[in-house]
Amino acid sequence: MCAALLAFGSWTLHPARAQSADAGPSAFIQKLGTEAVNTFAKKDMPRQQALGRFKELLHEGFDVPYIGRWVLGRYWNQATPQQQQEYQRLFEQMIVRTYADRFIDYAGVTFKITGTRAETDTDTMVTTQIIRPDGPPVAVDWRVRKRGQSYKIIDVVVEGVSMGVTQRQEFSSVIQSNGGRIEGLIQALRQKTAQPG
Amino acid sequence: MIPASLPRSFLRTVIAAGFVLALAGCASAPTGQNADANDANDPLEIPNRFVFAVNEAADILVIRPAAEVYRGAVPDPIRDAVQNILNNLLSPIIITNELLQGDGQGAQNAAGRFLTNTILGLGGVLDVATQAGIPPYAYEDFGQTLGVWGLGEGPYLVLPLLGPSNLRDATGFAVDTVADPVRLWAYGADAKNLLYLRGGTTAVNSRSLVLTQIDDLRRNSLDFYATLRSLYHQRREAEIRDREGATETPEFPEFDNAPAPAPTPMP
Repeated sequence: MCAALLAFGSWTLHPARAQSADAGPSAFIQKLGTEAVNTFAKKDMPRQQALGRFKELLHEGFDVPYIGRWVLGRYWNQATPQQQQEYQRLFEQMIVRTYADRFIDYAGVTFKITGTRAETDTDTMVTTQIIRPDGPPVAVDWRVRKRGQSYKIIDVVVEGVSMGVTQRQEFSSVIQSNGGRIEGLIQALRQKTAQPG
Repeated sequence: MIPASLPRSFLRTVIAAGFVLALAGCASAPTGQNADANDANDPLEIPNRFVFAVNEAADILVIRPAAEVYRGAVPDPIRDAVQNILNNLLSPIIITNELLQGDGQGAQNAAGRFLTNTILGLGGVLDVATQAGIPPYAYEDFGQTLGVWGLGEGPYLVLPLLGPSNLRDATGFAVDTVADPVRLWAYGADAKNLLYLRGGTTAVNSRSLVLTQIDDLRRNSLDFYATLRSLYHQRREAEIRDREGATETPEFPEFDNAPAPAPTPMP
């Protein structure tokens, strides 16, 4: 099993290099993805430990505070510093709640990098295919931002659907149905994150 | 995807209303595709939310349980065969729309699939085409064709039982349904029951393919209605762009890490 994953990992590195002058973003996705696949391939890991590993990978790979702020859009500036702080804390809990189980449970999933596309001076879209054992492959694009020598994911686009945009529109709808008050969103997030997963 | 069980009178109404409003919409085509949070393009939100609630009840009480039983009780090979037959029956619509969109290659793939599976695949029961290396189905419909032709999506709509749509796609759906050769044949041969069977099977089959995904979304959404609205809009835009490959992405400005500004008083 491990040998197969290693072979897979080294094989997928090559097509990515050919596509882009800056191999940084795709090498970053390759490394992060291989780490995630290897981590969650172990089905005997206790749930608490798997959750811990998920959070580590989340922070290694994603700029969670940036995404949280981007998702809040123009409402960020209307929030008090206390609200901003609580929102960011709840936003991260939401991410863990929404995605942790998907990553932990999905066994047998592999991926390959299919290309890269420069979006801006700092951002690169790394396009991948997620190969599932029980269905057709899924196209997932990772928007990677370069800051100095470090890379972080700031958006994920699944089959043309941006997770950031979806979340932003949902949060905006919640705020609007609460009369434009951010407190309404924070309250909804509190309730949601307090529910058992 | 294309339930053929809609009452005709309802369809006629949708078509008539669709064309009138679509023409009116041409004059002031909505351009709201910049993913702005406030641009949900949903002036009919209140009636939409009402229909959505009814659909949710129907799904939770009837459609989801049926789909669950279908997936649990019917063996994989039979469900694959059902899926293949339903796909094959959609082929005439897909081929026509590929041609209307000016996609010769896509039309050729879909026609190749249709002929291969109909002749060598026991009338569409087996998906021989995939084994023969013909590219998989791209589900093309008249709503997408209208989009390729440059028509804006019009206001967001939630249709009874059919779910998320918009004026353009509802119109497209009505045209596809009326023009579907399978439907025309069934009416001619007085075999309308087959259409109802196909509609019901399509609904249960489609639903059975997304059981966990929809459960996840429902469980994790703060506003499931708004989530589906956003997903639907983005997904359709992506499908319409499919051959251009260029994605329309929002701005991702760099925020300075300065402390948060003082709270601005609410107006």
